[in-house]
Amino acid sequence: MEAFATKLKEQIITHLNLEDLTPEEVGLDDPLFGEGLGLDSIDALELIVFLEKEYGIKIENPEEGKQIFESVNTIAKFIQKNKNT
Amino acid sequence: MKIYISGMGNISPQTTFDNKNFLDEIVSHEGSRLNIVDPPYKEILNPRLMRRMTRIIKMGVTSAKICLAEAKVEMPDAIITGTAMGCVKDTETFLLAYGSEESTLLTPTAFIRSTHNTVGGQIALMLKCNNYNFTYVQKGFSFESALLDGILKLKEKDGENILVGAVDEMTDNSYGIKSHLGYLKEGIKNSLDLFQEKSKGIIAGEGSAFFLLSNKENENNYAVLSGLFMLYKPKSQAEIENGIQHVLSPQGLELKDIDAIIIGKNGNEEKDGIYDDFLKAFPSETAVLGYKHLCGEYETSSAFALWMAARMIKEQRIPKATIIRKSDAKELEHILIYNHYRGINHSFILVSKI
Repeated sequence: MEAFATKLKEQIITHLNLEDLTPEEVGLDDPLFGEGLGLDSIDALELIVFLEKEYGIKIENPEEGKQIFESVNTIAKFIQKNKNT
Repeated sequence: MKIYISGMGNISPQTTFDNKNFLDEIVSHEGSRLNIVDPPYKEILNPRLMRRMTRIIKMGVTSAKICLAEAKVEMPDAIITGTAMGCVKDTETFLLAYGSEESTLLTPTAFIRSTHNTVGGQIALMLKCNNYNFTYVQKGFSFESALLDGILKLKEKDGENILVGAVDEMTDNSYGIKSHLGYLKEGIKNSLDLFQEKSKGIIAGEGSAFFLLSNKENENNYAVLSGLFMLYKPKSQAEIENGIQHVLSPQGLELKDIDAIIIGKNGNEEKDGIYDDFLKAFPSETAVLGYKHLCGEYETSSAFALWMAARMIKEQRIPKATIIRKSDAKELEHILIYNHYRGINHSFILVSKI
């Protein structure tokens, strides 16, 4: 799981063009939005498209987004759970 | 009321961005494509802001930032941008994704960035500036329209510091389209040989230049922007000569008072005759200068010429690389810029000593 979360972290950095960040600087449980990495609503939309493109997972209920995108770890768990279903 | 140019930022196919080198070291470009010399963006822009910027946005925002820093203005009263083609790369990215993914998986960023007013918007975001913000998309009059708006705002006392600029980019696709349409010069080895070429076509360029226009006299000001006139599809030489008078007469100037003329000659034998006819109106001892061998042809290239004229006036010197016809004039008091885009959009900009 941790290896997957680390890979996911690298993918997110690349996809969101977070040029000034290295994977080591992003903790797996760090909040992605607000005071954490400072991502915004456009990044949230980018992440939704990213999940669908890379992992074929569609977020049907936008209300879920807040919990799913809390941290790299929560996204990783969501992917693992939905990939197996 | 005098309108002063109190700061400038110019990113072009020459190393112009630092406002130190004034065309002393010239960059020659091979073939008919002149891309900008990138400034060290990471040293100038906040990396967090930069991550959502493509090349044209970086060019525009950086040149605006350099301009404001030089003018020592933190918050302009207006941001006015001219761009003919806008954010071409982002439009391409969005449309290609739209075509290939059947519009099901489109990322929002490219779409948001693809509008023409993105550069003006990003400058405002960077400055947290909620003041007047307008983008003119008027083909070969895009920059001139922005400039006119800035002049009018100052004349109507609707602001004291107006940021006006122009930005246009060239991408692989836009260059390819120009080439496919037969607009480009074939077989040119060195862009600096442009005026020796006797052939059809142009060399394509790009760039971004911003100017801080102010009504305040200041010892650091570059020059006075003393005239602007636009002429759409003139039918005769007489109309063009009339255009000259439109900028000279209000200043009480005659043709002989112009110390140097910057013309937009671009090496296209089909249209350069317009410049030759234009020059016949002036005394033969007036200096004639060119700039499109340095920045290429694009819709808003007259912004590069304005940057050149303002620096010449302030520094009282003409860089060797720009000279088409020499003159013995000891002082540069008035410089007239005359440019036309594809023979359609003709503009006259008069720049004077303070």
